Amino acid sequence: MISRYAGIAPARDLILLRKLGERLRGKTFLHVNSTRAGGGVAEILHRMIPILKGVGIEPRWEVIEGDERFFEITKKLHNTLQGNAEKIDGEMWRYYFEVNRRNAERLDLDADAVLIHDPQPAPLIEFRKRGIWIWRCHIDLSAPSRDVCDMLTTYCRKYDASVFSVAKFARAMGTEEFIIPPSIDPLAEKNRELSAEEIQAVRDRFGLEKERPILLQVSRFDRFKDPVGVIKAYRAVKKYNDCVLVLAGSPATDDPEGAVVLQEVRDYAADDPDIRILLLPPFSDTDINALQRLATVILQKSVREGFGLTVSEAMWKGKAVIGGATGGIPLQILHGVTGFLVHSVDGAAFRTRQLLNNPEMAAKMGTDAREFVRQNFLITRHTRDYLSAWYCIENRGKDVIEL
Amino acid sequence: MEKISEPFEFKECIGILKATGKKARNLKELRDIVAVVSAGSIFHHTYQYFMRERFLEYTNDFAQWAGEGLEERALAEELSNIDPYEFRDTEEVRKRLLDIIGGYLERFPDPRDAMAGDEFYFNETVTIIYPAGIRAENLAEFLIAIRFMDVNAVYYHFYDARVRLGTDDFSTWFERVIGKPALAEAVRAIDPFMHDLEWIRRYIAGAVEAEVRRDMEMTGGGG
Repeated sequence: MISRYAGIAPARDLILLRKLGERLRGKTFLHVNSTRAGGGVAEILHRMIPILKGVGIEPRWEVIEGDERFFEITKKLHNTLQGNAEKIDGEMWRYYFEVNRRNAERLDLDADAVLIHDPQPAPLIEFRKRGIWIWRCHIDLSAPSRDVCDMLTTYCRKYDASVFSVAKFARAMGTEEFIIPPSIDPLAEKNRELSAEEIQAVRDRFGLEKERPILLQVSRFDRFKDPVGVIKAYRAVKKYNDCVLVLAGSPATDDPEGAVVLQEVRDYAADDPDIRILLLPPFSDTDINALQRLATVILQKSVREGFGLTVSEAMWKGKAVIGGATGGIPLQILHGVTGFLVHSVDGAAFRTRQLLNNPEMAAKMGTDAREFVRQNFLITRHTRDYLSAWYCIENRGKDVIEL
Repeated sequence: MEKISEPFEFKECIGILKATGKKARNLKELRDIVAVVSAGSIFHHTYQYFMRERFLEYTNDFAQWAGEGLEERALAEELSNIDPYEFRDTEEVRKRLLDIIGGYLERFPDPRDAMAGDEFYFNETVTIIYPAGIRAENLAEFLIAIRFMDVNAVYYHFYDARVRLGTDDFSTWFERVIGKPALAEAVRAIDPFMHDLEWIRRYIAGAVEAEVRRDMEMTGGGG
């Protein structure tokens, strides 16, 4: 399985994956999260499980079940951990624990290493049988609501270690804390190489003229992604350079706020024929892949962001990305080297003009951007890091481990 | 080419990053935490700065943050001149950091705060070392290997070796095993603070290739 990544991922990651696989061969590695489809965690697990099997580990993936009330509570929990002011009362905490208790009865939690993803299944630690237990936090815990975080920490502290995506998302919880960024899979439909015909088919379907530069942002219609700011930047650019703006995202049928933001974006775009708002159905991975390859400049002008893996996806297509300096984006964009970090609409417009007017610079940055992703943000490095963390916990107390 | 008795065994290493949970918003906090943080964290932010494939403007994380996060350029320059390999151990590096930051704070006692999100996060690493699965038994084999080896091997043998042995592994092997003191000297002459790993790899490959060519000419075609 991992031989499929040879020639794509750095050789060191593949060598170390094999070495760690030899050390951990035949051991069981259980992942638990709260959904099998949708969202970044599920997407990564779908791709990672076969790699783990490929190096001799016996991985399993369990999903906790809950009713509407449970997921309302965990959504509040998620929001408060990211700093929103919402109340979680004692009854809610009891129900949150109770649903986890019922799941613990149903699930086989016996494994050599257990990775619990995000807050929803965190109380499962109370039903630990054996093995190493690690809590994997995918969200930003840098400025949480104090009470809620303290309550959650009572569970997190019982784990052997926790894992955060970015150092600034971490929080001192009294356990060993690893920093492991998420990743993209270069072989996934969203990132695989496309033929010229496949790309042309997408260009034709969306009516994108060949001779005109394309500015692209791929994101949900969410205020934190600042789609209106992107239109403002496009209008500032348009005074100097002809271009087409493509805003591609999923329709917001189940998200009332998403629908409101989409309408705001449509109103703001008014009747400009050069602003193309593309509503892509879920799983439009080939279309997104092709749009990123067609784009001249890709923006991710977020004002608030988790890790922002769409940036790495765009960089993998050899594009210099203009990204908001927030969340995990500064880890991916080395300003002036693999793209530009911006703090304002003016910044986004200025940097877009720079890239449009300096195609050689844009191409060099794009090449460096792809290499930077190759070195740091592919799923092989991510899997290697999980196994390394597990092995480090088994060898606790050592600063240097020689395999 | 003749085989020699002690082959060069290429090894690579990676650092698994860990958060210490400590962060500094300004120079006073930086000084206070540098004074107490683990030796592993000082090691990570100074010695292991060279593990990344692309260096930024300065030569350690403290200097980089002083220059870019706080815009205290004079301090960044002073911190950037710290050569961690000059010191006996990490505690001496810590002391030098404290002297420089303390001296700067005496001259400029009201440091500004970094922007929210741009604080200095103290991390540390567990280093995992593993064989790359390639060994060179003569200079020609070494040349092929160094060209295709991951740059992490260059870090392990060129930088990490200085902590272990006080010098790099390459020049030691060239001099002691291969008997090429001039080649060893060419590698020792590399300024470790001015080049990234890829440059060092290319430079060593170039120097070794020139040596292999000379050997072949001397022996009339490598026979």
